[in-house]
Amino acid sequence: MKNRIIKWIDQRFPLTSFVKHDLTGYPTPRNLSYWWNFGFLAGFVLMLQVATGIFLAMHYKADVTLSFDSIQHIMRDVNYGWLLRFMHATGASAFFLVIYIHMARTLYYGSYRAPRELMWWTGQGLLLMLMATAFMGYLLPWGQMSFWGATVITNLFRATPFIGEQVVTWLRGDYAVGDATLTRFFALHYLLPFLIIGGVVVHLVALHTVKSSNPSGIDLAAKDNIPFHPYFTIKDLYGLGIFLIVYCIFVFFLPNSLIEPANNIPANPMQTPTHIVPEWYFLPFYAILRSVPNLVGGVVAMGLSVMVFSFMPYLDRSHIPGGAHYRPWYRVTFYLFVADMLVLGYVGYTPPTNQSIVMGQVATFFYFILFMLLPFISKAEERWLIRRGLPPDVEAMIAGEAKEKSKLPQRRRRGDIT
Amino acid sequence: MKKLIVVLMLYCSTSPVWATDAKLENIQVETSVQAVERGVDDLMNNCHSCHSLKYIKYRDLATFGIDKKKIDEWRGDQPIDAPLAGLMSDEAAMQSFGLVPPDLSLMTKAREGGASYVYSYLLGYYNTPEGMTGNHIFPETKMPDPLGISSATEPAQRDELRKTAHDIVSFLSWAADPHEQERHRLGYYVIGYLVILTLLLYFVKNQVWSKLK
Repeated sequence: MKNRIIKWIDQRFPLTSFVKHDLTGYPTPRNLSYWWNFGFLAGFVLMLQVATGIFLAMHYKADVTLSFDSIQHIMRDVNYGWLLRFMHATGASAFFLVIYIHMARTLYYGSYRAPRELMWWTGQGLLLMLMATAFMGYLLPWGQMSFWGATVITNLFRATPFIGEQVVTWLRGDYAVGDATLTRFFALHYLLPFLIIGGVVVHLVALHTVKSSNPSGIDLAAKDNIPFHPYFTIKDLYGLGIFLIVYCIFVFFLPNSLIEPANNIPANPMQTPTHIVPEWYFLPFYAILRSVPNLVGGVVAMGLSVMVFSFMPYLDRSHIPGGAHYRPWYRVTFYLFVADMLVLGYVGYTPPTNQSIVMGQVATFFYFILFMLLPFISKAEERWLIRRGLPPDVEAMIAGEAKEKSKLPQRRRRGDIT
Repeated sequence: MKKLIVVLMLYCSTSPVWATDAKLENIQVETSVQAVERGVDDLMNNCHSCHSLKYIKYRDLATFGIDKKKIDEWRGDQPIDAPLAGLMSDEAAMQSFGLVPPDLSLMTKAREGGASYVYSYLLGYYNTPEGMTGNHIFPETKMPDPLGISSATEPAQRDELRKTAHDIVSFLSWAADPHEQERHRLGYYVIGYLVILTLLLYFVKNQVWSKLK
């Protein structure tokens, strides 16, 4: 009976071949480390956010006079409303943490290089949509930080040439952040996750065309690829367990550590908080914005600091495999970049003082300089590594994989492999 | 390069200047029904004439296990589902203080330092040489010393006020996050379950991967 149903479907829809091609039989490099778990985790958190978000939307009211109260209604009166809300609020941080690790892995292992540029660029688009979704979701509780954060960020569009004022008014739906802004942010906050799901599908189709990269950076021969199921389904589930433990520690024991105290005060347009800070995941970019004294310059620098990742396939001119693993100079660059991000995050968090402003400017300068020097560093490093030779085990591995691949057509002809 | 790193490290080591410079006294709030009950009692006597707690209803106090007779006393002829509204009208407050006293439902969550901030603030009043009262924690405050700590000189009396402030803050902490205890209780079960599940998944993973040559 079951077989007959599947056969009936298969004649009309490629079900079995899809499952075989993309799930059970999908060839995956066997040497993937746990850093390759984070793409799956990002997908999981996306589903978690959509699920909790839909239930929150059933009780939330997008109206400036009601939204703060409706959050308290969810927190106090709705059955397990506090759990839904803390899962969703903590989920936003978890999403960015997972995505930042996913990106750091891509940068470290050079996974953005050919033929995976489209994966990197669709990922960049997903990051932008995630940032927009998080920013708009942050307005919804209508607390002090929600209101002032949205005011500061929408104000940045004043930097648009010629029509700055009009663009800001158009975005807000009013001259100031108000009811019109809240309702449209709610509508878009509900829409964007579904666009993100669409983007993820494109990201995955691209992945299944070019297949996963791996820590060696070498395109592995068939014998070193294993089917996704059961090997990576179980490995992803184990990683998910570890992730959920960390996530639940925050949800159940430290949920308020991720919520600014000022956001527990209802929005008051007449009273500016002493110190406006974004959520932790925007701090480095916020620091870059503040480090440039001029509004237009700051906005351009901030936009560029996010978009500069797209250029990585061109900025990195080395063809040495394995990303930072076999490339000592690139490795140093990578760690300097991570350290610079942390410094920028710290600068974004502290109220501006003479010291922190200088520190932010140095770190901003350093941020862009690292990207600008990368073409020269990577090319010089490639020449140096070719002259010096790769470690013998890497050379052996490259030779082995190449030999394995050249054998493949003959063996297939002889019928060794089905 | 080295110089740059040294400069950056030096910057990292200096602490930024925060809005409140005064030191907070760090406290642990009590979560027992008795402490919270004492806290509501003290709040009704000292704070409720001006401040509301609009997200707390009298029924919530009853559900938490506070003495029914006391609740009836506090609410008078208000229905059990009425919120703890302040007794002072906004207009009267504007006339006396120039602002509406803030709602206290979320007070321990709405300040950097949380319960410790509110506790230190309540006990932070002192007499200025001009015969006025000031506050170490929040100098711009418009609220007159509610507990009378600035005029209490006897150590026994001061200890009594400390206890009162502690109880009030314990109640406010509960009011800001009434599901906290339930959350922690559930959290232990959830995390315990996840630890066992993850261990099992780890063993299954090793089992599956051991079949690979």
